[in-house]
Amino acid sequence: MWAKIAWRLFWQELRRGELWVIAFALFLAVGSVVSLSGITQSVKSALAQRSAQFTAADRVLRSSQPFDQRIMQLAQQHNVASAQQIQFNSMLFAGEAMQLVTVKAVSEQYPLRGTLELRRSADISKGAAGSLVAGEVWLEPRLFSLLQVEPGSVIEMGVSRLKVAGVIVSEPDAPLSVFGGSPRVLMSLDDVAATGIIQPGSRISYRYLFAGSQAALTQFEQQSGPLLTVHQRWQEMDEESALGSALDRAERFLLLAGLLGIVLAACAAAVAASRYSQRHTQAVAIIKALGATTLQARLIYGSHLLLVLLFSLLLGLAAGMATIWLGQLGIGYYIADYQSEFSWRPLWLGSLTCIICALLFAARPLWRLTQTAAIDVLKQPASQWRFDVFQIALGAVAIWGLMWLFSGELVLSIGLFLLCGVFALLLLAMAALLVRLAKPVAAGQSSARKLALANLRRRLWPNSFQLITFSLAIFLTLLLYFLRAGLIEQWQRQIPEGAPNQFLVNIAEHELVSLQQFAEQHQLTLTDFYPMVRGRLVSINDEQLQEEPSKEQQSEQRVGVGRELNLTWLDRLPPNNQIESGTWNGSARPGTVSVESQLAERLQLNMGDKLLFSIGGQEVSAVVSSIRKVDWNSLQPNFYMILSPELLSTFPATYISAFYAPAEQSELLNQLARQFPTITVLTVDAIIKQINDIIDQVTIALSFILLIISLAAALVLVAQVQATLEQREQELAILRTLGARYSFLRNALLLEFAFLGAMAGLFATVLAELLLLVLQQRVFNMPFEFHYAFWWLGPVLGVFCVTALGWWQLKRLLRIPGAQLIRRVLQG
Amino acid sequence: MTSPEIHIQAKNLAKSVKVTDGSLTILHDISLTINQAETVAIVGASGSGKSTLLSLLAGLDIPTSGEMYLAGQPLHQLSEDERAQIRAAQVGFVFQSFLLLPSLTALENVTLPAELAGDRQARARGLELLQKVGLAERADFYPSQLSGGEQQRVAIARAFITSPAILFADEPSANLDTATGRKIEDLLFELNTQQGTTLVLVTHNAELADRCQRQLRMQAGRFISNTEQVVAHVG
Repeated sequence: MWAKIAWRLFWQELRRGELWVIAFALFLAVGSVVSLSGITQSVKSALAQRSAQFTAADRVLRSSQPFDQRIMQLAQQHNVASAQQIQFNSMLFAGEAMQLVTVKAVSEQYPLRGTLELRRSADISKGAAGSLVAGEVWLEPRLFSLLQVEPGSVIEMGVSRLKVAGVIVSEPDAPLSVFGGSPRVLMSLDDVAATGIIQPGSRISYRYLFAGSQAALTQFEQQSGPLLTVHQRWQEMDEESALGSALDRAERFLLLAGLLGIVLAACAAAVAASRYSQRHTQAVAIIKALGATTLQARLIYGSHLLLVLLFSLLLGLAAGMATIWLGQLGIGYYIADYQSEFSWRPLWLGSLTCIICALLFAARPLWRLTQTAAIDVLKQPASQWRFDVFQIALGAVAIWGLMWLFSGELVLSIGLFLLCGVFALLLLAMAALLVRLAKPVAAGQSSARKLALANLRRRLWPNSFQLITFSLAIFLTLLLYFLRAGLIEQWQRQIPEGAPNQFLVNIAEHELVSLQQFAEQHQLTLTDFYPMVRGRLVSINDEQLQEEPSKEQQSEQRVGVGRELNLTWLDRLPPNNQIESGTWNGSARPGTVSVESQLAERLQLNMGDKLLFSIGGQEVSAVVSSIRKVDWNSLQPNFYMILSPELLSTFPATYISAFYAPAEQSELLNQLARQFPTITVLTVDAIIKQINDIIDQVTIALSFILLIISLAAALVLVAQVQATLEQREQELAILRTLGARYSFLRNALLLEFAFLGAMAGLFATVLAELLLLVLQQRVFNMPFEFHYAFWWLGPVLGVFCVTALGWWQLKRLLRIPGAQLIRRVLQG
Repeated sequence: MTSPEIHIQAKNLAKSVKVTDGSLTILHDISLTINQAETVAIVGASGSGKSTLLSLLAGLDIPTSGEMYLAGQPLHQLSEDERAQIRAAQVGFVFQSFLLLPSLTALENVTLPAELAGDRQARARGLELLQKVGLAERADFYPSQLSGGEQQRVAIARAFITSPAILFADEPSANLDTATGRKIEDLLFELNTQQGTTLVLVTHNAELADRCQRQLRMQAGRFISNTEQVVAHVG
């Protein structure tokens, strides 16, 4: 029978619209968590897919040993697609001409991600599309002029003769490095054995490519562990890329912003639940007086919360899924071949958040409600806000729990929580002090101001709490406004207007002058010409380096770079480079080398260490004289090792340079390619466009977060004002009876909210400024700046929002005729 | 223990409440017995302790000391929920300010105690009672749509729905004008007589008190008239 009563009461309460605040708060919590988590995951998955297109697979396992069939079988068992690839350097002969090339031999399934574009011609813009078959090789454009061959020619590789099929237009896993290397050749894996090139001791790089669903890949990766040897390692995503670090920042930001929005919504739910409970105290006392037990009261009112929870949960999940779907549509528009993946994570994360918010924020007031004693039926219902330490403790635990749940970092969640706690206490103390100080100030004020200040003082605790939530809302808006503007500005700074988008590689020394002339003729601004010599780091302080990590020697011998490095020599420090330790010498101090800081850290290099390089069989020794920090996001030619000029200038070098050419000047690029056939032109427009697209995506996500937080903040304000509605109704009735005029009551009301808003705005500004200090330095790695705009923006925003919302809520009370108001109050 | 015909028995009841500087005794050494179907008025000025006594007699509250029996049950030894179960089975209430649930219709308010007790015939019985109090056509009205007198009639119908053995009424006509108040009192006594209910009412209305078989006069938390001195008056 209790269910019947519960349902009737619930239905009526819904019609009265008072449970909607709790429902909307919970809906907002679920909806925002599901959307944020889902969209973040979708963006991550899209970027992983995009990144997979650049590696031709979702996962790459590198090895220096021949392929292990067991690994491929395991992949098949886990429904993971696989392909094989081997790379080696070899001499290619075509008649009298010969050239050292990098050969990539791939299996039939290649590529698993991205597209391979081949054309049956020597020109990348002409000829029919082709595909890889046994007996044929595909060449990089410059090889046609270097070897003086054309499609149909026969070349020799090892002991095999292979037919030149055409040109490689694009290959998904072409090296992104603008420095290039030997010209590239693509062939079928089936032809490799016949060449006789692979001999014991040959320097061959084997790669296993894998693609599949995230779950299948994870499982496969875990189970493949025991099969792997020290010669095999998983290739990691390049975290130093502009995209990698941007994504990293975006992820932290979305989590942080989302979390704060949830806390606001949860506060609104707590306030609404408290008000709901307060309003129903007498009803519970009545039903208990009529014979209901505490259990029955709990079932009746608990079911209300349960129904609201279920309603909000289902609606929130649906709304969240719809937002994810829209987000994925958007991502699909930006990233070609994007395949959306369903994930349960946003759904359970949203559901868990909703349950935590409902139980730890809203359940306590309802629990207290059902403890109302039957005797209270004979008492006047209390209209004052009751301070509930246990409720505050539960709320705090919930906030911390959510912080932990979302960030997944225990230390970060504890730190953030303690910081918030300290600020909440500080705000509470400041609010209490200010409101108390208002008394002597009010003495000399006009009646309306006196009444406004008196009202603030009288509702000291609720006002302090309101002040905290108002402050939090404004604080979040300021913070988001800054982070959104700051983050995007920073991203956009990564791609400055007119940044080089065309890289010229393999420029021979004799071409420097004519290339410079070509540039001047066509008004192109070339960056400096950087000389480049390829060499291998052999030893550090006479200690021989390992090429690959090995079990036996791991602890004793340092592991080298594992590949040839592009070495350069420069007189002056390149732009976007900062000296971290030591001094930049240029040519002033012979026999020195400047090392990039992360490589120096990886190789455990110190100032004064002696490095030995092997360049074309000759050994060159240099002493570390400086360690440099390089901005890898700058899209400028960057180097790990810069040696002093006299060490390298005797070696034959090629040069690299870059310039900016808008997309419409493609004819100019063709002209350049015709005039300088051996120079490779690398266009990075596609990369830049993709970064821009990602920025657009993130902007949409951030705007969405701002919307959620604004809604949550407004909900808190509405819930807070509604909580004082009955009390205000009583006071107005009394004041009206005593003859107060409309203008007097209106002014008092406006002033009360304006004071509260100004205080909240001021606190929010202080809070935002302090937190930004931490965030900028610790999370976003930006230098700290003082935000002057906050100091007027915060208070103005506070006064405007709080007064407008307060007025919107209470204006109808002022307009009720006095007699009607008094009757309403008397009727209870 | 009490004999079967004794419905309510209080022995040396005292009630104190905590105040800022110690405790305040509201009721001192109250003893009384009320028999089955008896009508008793507790009268006295405001603040004399009438309502506190009513709350103890009905088991809404427990005494600080003394013993309190209702329908043979020792209320002073029972928990809040055990007392609630006794109220559900034995007691009906009519309050000064009606105390209807604003979210429920007149009929739903009337059937509430019966439904809490698990009575499946509650609706039919509720309609019958609304008919008796003259509000059958307003069964689906909400309290806010009813006048004060109508609300109190709904409250009376609610009080009788479980056919309680004992009815407690706290100033049932105090919030109503004289004419309406009179009608409400008539209705209360009529239903009481029909159902043979024991009626305990608290009032400072001498006329209403005169309609009861017995009056207990209180002052400063004590009975001042001889409690067993009955001014017999058949209602």
